[in-house]
Amino acid sequence: MEEFDGEPTVTWIPGVNSQKKQMCFDWGPGEMLVCETSFNKKEKSEMVAGCPFIHIIRKDIDVYSKILRKLFNESHGIFVGLQRIEEELTGKSRKAQLVRVSKNYRSVIRACMEEMHQFAVADKDSAIGRQFSSQVSILSAMELIWNLCEILFIEVAPAGPLLLYLLDWVRLHVCEVDSLSADVLGSENPSKHESFWNLPGNTQTLTELELRWQHWHEECERHLQDGTFASNPHLESLCKVLLGDDAALLEHKELLSNWYHFLVTRLLYSQPTVKPMDLHLYAQSSLDLFLGGESSPEPLDNILMAAFEFDIHQVIKECSIALSNWWFVAHLTDLLDHCKLLQSHNLYFGSNMREFLLLEYASGLFAHHSLWQLGVDYCDHCPELGRVSLELHIERIPLTTEQKALKVLRVCEQRQMTEQVRSICKVLAMKAVRNNRLGSALSWSIRAKDAAFATLVSDRFLRDYCERGCFSDLDLIDNLGPAMMLSDRLTFLGKYREFHRLYGEKCFVDAASLLLSLMTSQIAPRSFWMTLLTDALPLLEQKQVIFSAEQTYELLRCLEDLTSGRPLCGEPDAQQLQDDDIETTKVEILRLALARNLARSVIKEGSLEGS
Amino acid sequence: MGETVSVINTVDTSHEDMIHDAQMDYYGTRLATCSSDRSVKIFDVRNGGQILVADLRGHEGPVWQVAWAHPMYGNILASCSYDRKVIIWKEENGTWEKTHEHTGHDSSVNSVCWAPHDYGLILACGSSDGAISLLTYTGLGQWEVKKINNAHTIGCNAVSWAPAVIPGSLIDQPSGQKPNYIKKFASGGCDNLIKLWKEEEDGQWKEEQKLEAHSDWVRDVAWAPSIGLPTSTIASCSQDGRVFVWTCDDASGNTWSPKLLHKFNDVVWHVSWSITANILAVSGGDNKVTLWKESVDGQWVCISDVNKGQGPVSTSVTEGQQNDQ
Repeated sequence: MEEFDGEPTVTWIPGVNSQKKQMCFDWGPGEMLVCETSFNKKEKSEMVAGCPFIHIIRKDIDVYSKILRKLFNESHGIFVGLQRIEEELTGKSRKAQLVRVSKNYRSVIRACMEEMHQFAVADKDSAIGRQFSSQVSILSAMELIWNLCEILFIEVAPAGPLLLYLLDWVRLHVCEVDSLSADVLGSENPSKHESFWNLPGNTQTLTELELRWQHWHEECERHLQDGTFASNPHLESLCKVLLGDDAALLEHKELLSNWYHFLVTRLLYSQPTVKPMDLHLYAQSSLDLFLGGESSPEPLDNILMAAFEFDIHQVIKECSIALSNWWFVAHLTDLLDHCKLLQSHNLYFGSNMREFLLLEYASGLFAHHSLWQLGVDYCDHCPELGRVSLELHIERIPLTTEQKALKVLRVCEQRQMTEQVRSICKVLAMKAVRNNRLGSALSWSIRAKDAAFATLVSDRFLRDYCERGCFSDLDLIDNLGPAMMLSDRLTFLGKYREFHRLYGEKCFVDAASLLLSLMTSQIAPRSFWMTLLTDALPLLEQKQVIFSAEQTYELLRCLEDLTSGRPLCGEPDAQQLQDDDIETTKVEILRLALARNLARSVIKEGSLEGS
Repeated sequence: MGETVSVINTVDTSHEDMIHDAQMDYYGTRLATCSSDRSVKIFDVRNGGQILVADLRGHEGPVWQVAWAHPMYGNILASCSYDRKVIIWKEENGTWEKTHEHTGHDSSVNSVCWAPHDYGLILACGSSDGAISLLTYTGLGQWEVKKINNAHTIGCNAVSWAPAVIPGSLIDQPSGQKPNYIKKFASGGCDNLIKLWKEEEDGQWKEEQKLEAHSDWVRDVAWAPSIGLPTSTIASCSQDGRVFVWTCDDASGNTWSPKLLHKFNDVVWHVSWSITANILAVSGGDNKVTLWKESVDGQWVCISDVNKGQGPVSTSVTEGQQNDQ
């Protein structure tokens, strides 16, 4: 049975007849298609034009926002740095480093917030401006939550300093100055207050501090009871506040922006040395008192409350639901995991929460034309499921330019993702063939180690040669090296080109041997033999004798083989059916040339001149 | 930074009749659609645009499904129709043409699905004549046909291939040598059954398993992509309004256990997994497309409804994500 945790969102697709029709859909790599249809397969159509529109929908426009892109880029840098933190560092230095990382993340959020704020202000009255404004407030909430988590979970402030951290936290995020504290400084016993505030660097122990505070607190109480301030209701109220009187504080509710401001103020005046484990008691009551039953807690309140209760998993869960953006939850969880605060919380399919969240975030990045590279790093740092996730995503990245294709391939090769390399190279080879870029197609098939495709491309090269009398992409063919062995046809192509080179360099004897061997070794396809024999003609016609008698016999045998019309295994003999006259003439010329060469070579070998 | 599901592009296909299927290509750059108007259309939808690339005619009846082959084989699209034919279309020199027509069925062909590219270019087709045919490209424009007759009584409605898994060691095979894949696919039919098929060593296809749980015609099956875990997952939906998610722990062998995702109030027509198999989309008779995700404790949770209607284009309601706990 399913559970519904919060209402699922309904997204309306426009213009579709909701009465009669259904919607069909498909997944794209980063989006979804929907369109109206009727699944009831009727043979006769209703001849009623349905809605001809197909809507492409996508979650998450965030990846496409320029300002947020900076957030993604910079946080990526912090993330990768965090993964590389020395494991040996323990205790204080490790903690200090983790706190630093946390502050880095927060400063990145703040920078993003400030930039967006400027846009919001500039475009104040438009819809875009309002959108920016709302994004600013969301970022602000994120920073608020992160900061609190930093204090409670990472900094792990002990009793005493905890309140100071919380004070800073509230001051940072609450715009209004705590006007009460300003009053306090101006009131009686300022010296006592000043020394109170001198806590950082203070050499007093917690107990001493508590004692002093107790003493001061008692004095205040005495003043109140004695009616010292009776003549001045304002001062009396102030005194009550100083004593941490809830009612008095709440009277000035308008000065407190929210319940956590109220909480910290309460603590300041009643429990300055509050211990972390007691925090949640005051938090809950602060929330209840502040809201006073008039309104219910908002998602942000729930998140903060979970933090005060030191329930990290609840914080993450609430954030996932409320923020609906993986960036925050993924990075925070990862950091907390590095602080060794998450028990490996096993999800149903065996992975852990950190990986789950990071991979959800990374999935969103892959949809983007350049941010995909960041996604790769996130996958890399998920030892259990990252690799497979990367494999699935990387093949779907559109290879729009050669540069991008090379980048993607490099990523795959660096990670020994051989299947993906092959698949991508095959796609590129196919594209190149379709665009008639044979050299490119050949090099991609070689890289893919795709023998079949290499054969196909080699055939195209040879066909081109026959038609045009010259080779394209000579550089590539000349420098095949061991790759030549990938397929027989490719080897033939390489060797055939070598023959032409030798001929060009006038190494006729070597060229002749090579030419003959191409036929006798069966590397040359039958269909090409006529061409090869024709290539032999100039060698036969030279003044010097090039082919030996034995070689000439071989050539004759090849010619007879070819012309005898013997059935060949698998090779279509289409060539022999065409242009019979031309063929016959060619054959005649060859026979003549071979016979003449035979005669000359016999004579030459028979005489005493030797070699 | 609320995450919203918004319409980012609307393609006007100008189909003159009901659209039965729409499929994105591998990279999300092209869209193929088919309709009762007997045509198959292809659009370039990059950068929010929509350019009609091809309007393919050749079917003589409503076209039910289209399927893109893996790009390494070129731009190839298969379509199946009420006219009992399966047509394979290919882009050559910038134009789309029919490259092959398969007429081996006696009745409407309801579903086509390409096998994982690792197996080669193989297309499975399910038909109302109860048979499933498998077309394998053998080169030079030739397609070899294998037919499984009486795969499902009354008719076969859906076919879906299992992801390619290399059996045994993962040592890189020397080039040119294909690893021995065990090819499998699932089919759903009017006999209320889901059947799993396996290719034997002699090249014949044998029924390996029957999955029974539905009480009415099975309308669609979808085998989830592999995410590297030793479990296999199949989703099925039926005329009986139920959607089941079947899992098999490969270590134990061949025991498939169904889990009911949800019982809808109407026929469920279509199920499909996202690329990384973490979301299942379900299209139901209640005129909605719902998205489902598996939560921590193994329960399936609905995370979003995509509902058609007369409402405004992008109602940005913050999506309720599933709980990660």
